[in-house]
Amino acid sequence: MKKKLIQFKNIVKSYEDGKVVLKGINLDIYENEFVTLLGPSGCGKTTLLRILGGFLNQDEGQVIFDGEEISNVPPYKREVNTVFQKYALFPHMNVYDNIAFGLKLKKEPKDIIEQKVKRMLKLVNLEEYADRSVTAMSGGQQQRIAIARALVNEPSVLLLDEPLGALDLKLRKEMQHELKKIQQEVGITFIYVTHDQEEALTMSDKIVVMKEGEIQQIGTPTDIYNEPVNEFVANFIGESNIIEGMMIDDYKVVFEGRRFDCVDKGFNKNEVVDVVIRPEDLDIVPRGQGKLKGVVKSVLFKGVHYETMVETKVGTEITVKMMVSNDRPVYNEAANEKMSANDFYLDVEDVEELDEATIIARADAQAWNPDADELISIKEVDYEIKKENGKYPVTFSTAAGTSVTVNMIVKDENRVTSVENEEEIFAVNFFKKADEIQESIALETDLKTWANASAWSLEDGTAVEISDVKYDFNPETITPGVYDVTFATKGYEYKIDTTDKFEVGDEVGLMFQPEDIHIMSREQY
Amino acid sequence: MDNNKKTGIGGKILLALTMVFFYLPILYIIVFSFNDSRSLTKLGGFSLRWYEKMFADSTMMEAVVYTIVIALLATIISTIAGTLAAIGLSRSRKVLRNIVEQVNNLPIMNPEIVTAIGLLMFFSAIGIKKGFLTLLLAHIMFCTPYVMLSVSPKLRSLDPNLADAALDLGATPIQALTKVIVPQIMPGIVSGALIAFTMSFDDFIISYFVTGNGVQNISILVYTMSKRINPSINALSTLVILLITVGLILANVVPILKEKKEAMGKSGGKKGIALGLAGIIALSVLGIIGFGGNSKMDAVAKYGSDTLKLYNWGEYMGENLINDFQKEFGVKVITEYFDSNEMMYTKLQAGDSYDVLVPSDYMIQRMMNDDMLQELDHSLLPNLSELAEGVQNLPYDPNNSYSVPYFWGSVGIVYNHNNVDPAVVEAQGYEILRNTDYKGRIYVYDSERDSFMMALKALGYSMNTENEAEIQAAYEWLLDMNNTMEPVYVTDEVIDGMITGSKDIAVVYSGDATTILEENEDMSFWMPKEGTNLWSDAMVIPANAENPLLAHEFINYVLTYEASMDNSQYVGYTSSNQEVLDELSGEEGLYAENEAYVPRAGYEKDEVFEDNPVLKKTLAELWIKVKAAK
Amino acid sequence: MRQFRNMIYPYVGWLAVMVVVPMLMILLYAFTTAGNEVTTFRFTLDNFVRFLTDAVFLDVLKRSLLIAVATTIICVIFGYPIAYVIAKGPERSGFFWIMLITLPTWINMLVRTYAWVGILQDDGLLNGFLGLFGIGPFHMIHTTFAVVLGMVYNFVPFMILQIHASLAKMDRSLIEAANDLGANPVQSFLRVTLPLSLPGVLSGITLVFLPAVSSFFIPKLLGGGQYVLVGNVIETQFLTSGDWNFGSAISLIMAVIIMLSMWLTRKVDTDPAAGGKGA
Repeated sequence: MKKKLIQFKNIVKSYEDGKVVLKGINLDIYENEFVTLLGPSGCGKTTLLRILGGFLNQDEGQVIFDGEEISNVPPYKREVNTVFQKYALFPHMNVYDNIAFGLKLKKEPKDIIEQKVKRMLKLVNLEEYADRSVTAMSGGQQQRIAIARALVNEPSVLLLDEPLGALDLKLRKEMQHELKKIQQEVGITFIYVTHDQEEALTMSDKIVVMKEGEIQQIGTPTDIYNEPVNEFVANFIGESNIIEGMMIDDYKVVFEGRRFDCVDKGFNKNEVVDVVIRPEDLDIVPRGQGKLKGVVKSVLFKGVHYETMVETKVGTEITVKMMVSNDRPVYNEAANEKMSANDFYLDVEDVEELDEATIIARADAQAWNPDADELISIKEVDYEIKKENGKYPVTFSTAAGTSVTVNMIVKDENRVTSVENEEEIFAVNFFKKADEIQESIALETDLKTWANASAWSLEDGTAVEISDVKYDFNPETITPGVYDVTFATKGYEYKIDTTDKFEVGDEVGLMFQPEDIHIMSREQY
Repeated sequence: MDNNKKTGIGGKILLALTMVFFYLPILYIIVFSFNDSRSLTKLGGFSLRWYEKMFADSTMMEAVVYTIVIALLATIISTIAGTLAAIGLSRSRKVLRNIVEQVNNLPIMNPEIVTAIGLLMFFSAIGIKKGFLTLLLAHIMFCTPYVMLSVSPKLRSLDPNLADAALDLGATPIQALTKVIVPQIMPGIVSGALIAFTMSFDDFIISYFVTGNGVQNISILVYTMSKRINPSINALSTLVILLITVGLILANVVPILKEKKEAMGKSGGKKGIALGLAGIIALSVLGIIGFGGNSKMDAVAKYGSDTLKLYNWGEYMGENLINDFQKEFGVKVITEYFDSNEMMYTKLQAGDSYDVLVPSDYMIQRMMNDDMLQELDHSLLPNLSELAEGVQNLPYDPNNSYSVPYFWGSVGIVYNHNNVDPAVVEAQGYEILRNTDYKGRIYVYDSERDSFMMALKALGYSMNTENEAEIQAAYEWLLDMNNTMEPVYVTDEVIDGMITGSKDIAVVYSGDATTILEENEDMSFWMPKEGTNLWSDAMVIPANAENPLLAHEFINYVLTYEASMDNSQYVGYTSSNQEVLDELSGEEGLYAENEAYVPRAGYEKDEVFEDNPVLKKTLAELWIKVKAAK
Repeated sequence: MRQFRNMIYPYVGWLAVMVVVPMLMILLYAFTTAGNEVTTFRFTLDNFVRFLTDAVFLDVLKRSLLIAVATTIICVIFGYPIAYVIAKGPERSGFFWIMLITLPTWINMLVRTYAWVGILQDDGLLNGFLGLFGIGPFHMIHTTFAVVLGMVYNFVPFMILQIHASLAKMDRSLIEAANDLGANPVQSFLRVTLPLSLPGVLSGITLVFLPAVSSFFIPKLLGGGQYVLVGNVIETQFLTSGDWNFGSAISLIMAVIIMLSMWLTRKVDTDPAAGGKGA
């Protein structure tokens, strides 16, 4: 058993604005460990590191270092050293002086300093750069100087605050290996803060996943990857398909309306759970042989594999009628003005908030000078409307007296509710001219606008994206008539890593084994 | 260690003391502007008299208006020019850019006085009449580099493709400039404009050298007026502080209001600022016109112009002289002040034109020799008959062909008879200035002419000597005084200094002595037996005067009983009007008991200065050496 | 974007006329004798000889430089702690303090200097205040003290603003790094904060020294007539004696001295050795 080096005991910290960043952190760190604090920005990981470094004081709790409470020890007396996010190299000193800074303060003899600095330069592969100005060094070199500057003081713990954040991808990968190598070579504890799960998985002996000031899970990289304790951890560490399910018994889980075997136990009977299946654990098989059936929605090439999205169940759908006409604009010869507008459908609910600008937009009312091709503003909108189904005329007129009258059609059957998906989708019928459809440069977006389509969650009212617009006309050659347009939200989709390429629209089956299914308790809000 | 974000108690005390240091003078100005007393140090009740005086003084109000108008114009022009130049510069070849940046640095890095004299010589060389235009040009010249300095960094940090993107999307170059580049660098332009405005608003040195012909800004006015205690300066300064404060508040509040307006969905904030700016300019211009507005058309018909440009000594006129003259004749008087004959002469030589000057005897002689004066038309000066006996037949102009005496007097010693034994003063005469018993207790008048007069007289020589040995002896006399007595050299400050009793002995003009004796009864006056300088200042009309008719009218007016009385009563100098002289020095008169008011007449050792430019220059240089020796 | 390039040419012309020509005129006058006509142009070094061989003028020059140096040093000593306290304090109040310090500079320098004339009188405000504690009165007006005080008062805001700017933009993590590496607050100030704020101090020095060496109204108002500095000599040559040639020569000498000292300052600024191996 390794020796406990650092203990955080119930650390609470809030900032001046009252925001609590650490909500009672308890964490033990052992000798010679590479510990990573992992979490999204704002989770409190850097704050915890700064408390250990001595740059912040916690509001409550204790920091125990090697058996002693160190909360009141100033940073310059602590046996820890830090590699700062942007390195914080002293720009007025050269490489050598930066590294020698701490030793000089300790008043070590000159020859000893030189020896130690040389050794550090060798460790980080910068022997030739001692006399260079630090501002003239590349990001990776600065990074290594910062590490050398901290390590030369022979701390028992090295703190690293997102040290690779400023580097490009290739350099970052290189440095990951180098850091791990250095840690193994000097044999001290590294506490590493990052939001990059890949970094954490690559280097750490132990990962501490944090969220909103709380620790979510502590474990080895494999533990955390394979057995995430909740949806947050699962999502944060690698990519996952997370499906809502229910444990009906030990080793039995129901999702997508079917029962599957799994290897998890210990949940309450009929407990609602999250089911995690990693993309690499899923296989695509012929439709008849899969445990689930679906349609390929998209395929992205990722180098070694294809990332294939398969939809097993469609989302909430609504179909509306698009009435295409060939109406000509009204022409007012006296004023040399042309004007056009079309009928439009309205939901009963919208009547209250209706204003002139909305009416003009929905009716697509326009007036223009045909010679100059300049738009003319609409001066008057004349209408009366009640909050019940029916047709209500509205008249638009310009200052010159050109006017057009169209109908506003109020209807109350414009929405589809899906209890299962806990969402609702809304869209109305609409009128359009053929040339407008032909001229559209982003037809799907325009169709959504014209139909006033929207969808939202029944749980909390937040907007849900309408991901699918289906129609069966050719917009280039459309003629007057009535057409169906269907809008749909996203259904259940699985991300699958495959080596074979599938085509969008292929109907396929999905295959997985009981041990590929990971069950997590649902997050408590 | 996050707690060091708070300022400690030591820091707070330091900041508080700093603020006291910075704001004490400003507070002082404001408080003393409401002081009823004339004193710079004692409060004597609340009063608005200095404000009344300021607002009645068209010279002061004009200076305020000129300052604002010049600052606004210079800011607008230099901001536009500087921004365009900076944009042009950012696209120029490196060689050109380096050269322009170097040259641009010259006005910033050169001492202001060097820039100032360069411009002075340049304007004189090309023969531009000094005044509004030269002042404006100079201000634009030194403001523009600051604008560029403020705009250039913003341009450097600008995405170089921005303008290209605008052009790609169909903007013309001008649109790309106004719609894309300028909005991006706006913060730099605004801070550049602010710097330009303060630089211009505050400028003294460059303005002092390049302006003329009655155009002066607040700084110059304060400088020329500050010789004597003049609480109107405090009133003027308070007005400036008020203007700046209002301006700063507006600058900080307008953007907030604008934001609010925009939040409410209305536009027009920019228009508001533009309107406000236009309003200020319009008001200022109206102001300038307004000062001329009270004159009448008849004046123009009668004299050809309704403006008289007067160049006089500071604090040398009765309180109401100018106002009364303006009212009576329906004209406008622009007054500018000088503090030495030489300064006036230099200005005139540099091409400035005035209608009436009041130089001293020897200077009149020089100007007559240089053909710089007009012969006076005695038919326009009926009041010449009023001239006092003492100023008739003056040697430099016996028939008053070119000059009409204004004030006259002598030079003597004022001393505090409580601290200095009158017997000693009378026995030692000027030598008392080398009596180390009074070390650190003396004022000496800061003028080579009067100082050398004193030394030469003390040594028993003529004050007009050209004998080098005598001059050398006088130089050594003065040097000895300078090195042993710790004298303070003053000009008009001597009056207030002696009134408050700061020193015990001072060599002063008799007119100033009159005032001192009136205000401080501990003081006595002694005219040394070694002899003194009998001087007179007289009104003349320079050859390049633009309104000689009105100039004659003014000279004649000064000779009237009322004007002379006002002058002599207020300033304390000896009147050139016999009736006034008699009345003031008579038994019932204001100066009945004042031994300094009437100059000594007919004493053989007294002399009048003769003009000798070469000697004058020698003395000037020797004098500055005396003062500089330590 | 070549089309904007042309916008520089009018300004180049303006610079040539309004900046270069006047400077050339100073040169011309400095090297010629009075009363030169175009036909009798005569170059001479007399003006320089006259100034540089005269002990009195050299004294004036020395005094001007000494006063300027003293002013600059006092401004650093006085300005640095203020800038430091402001920069170390909370950001919002820092903005407020900087605003308060800038504000008086908007008000005319002469006006503010004139106020000191009253404050420093023998029976003035300051002596009155000191009198409350039984100290003084001191004679202050028309002394070196008054002149230096006036200069410090007018120029120290430039110093504070420059130093504050360099301190405020300094990365706080550098101080943390120094602490982390074992430097106590004093050590981290001396080894990190101070060296890193030097560029600000240096540009502050330039901004103070430059006007201090050539000022002529501060010595005149607060020092009295006997307080002659180079600026006063130049003013006299131009406005009283009318000897423009001599005045130009003195200006040139002063300009050269200032350029030299600024060049030296900049050299210190850019010299990496200056901030090199500290210990």
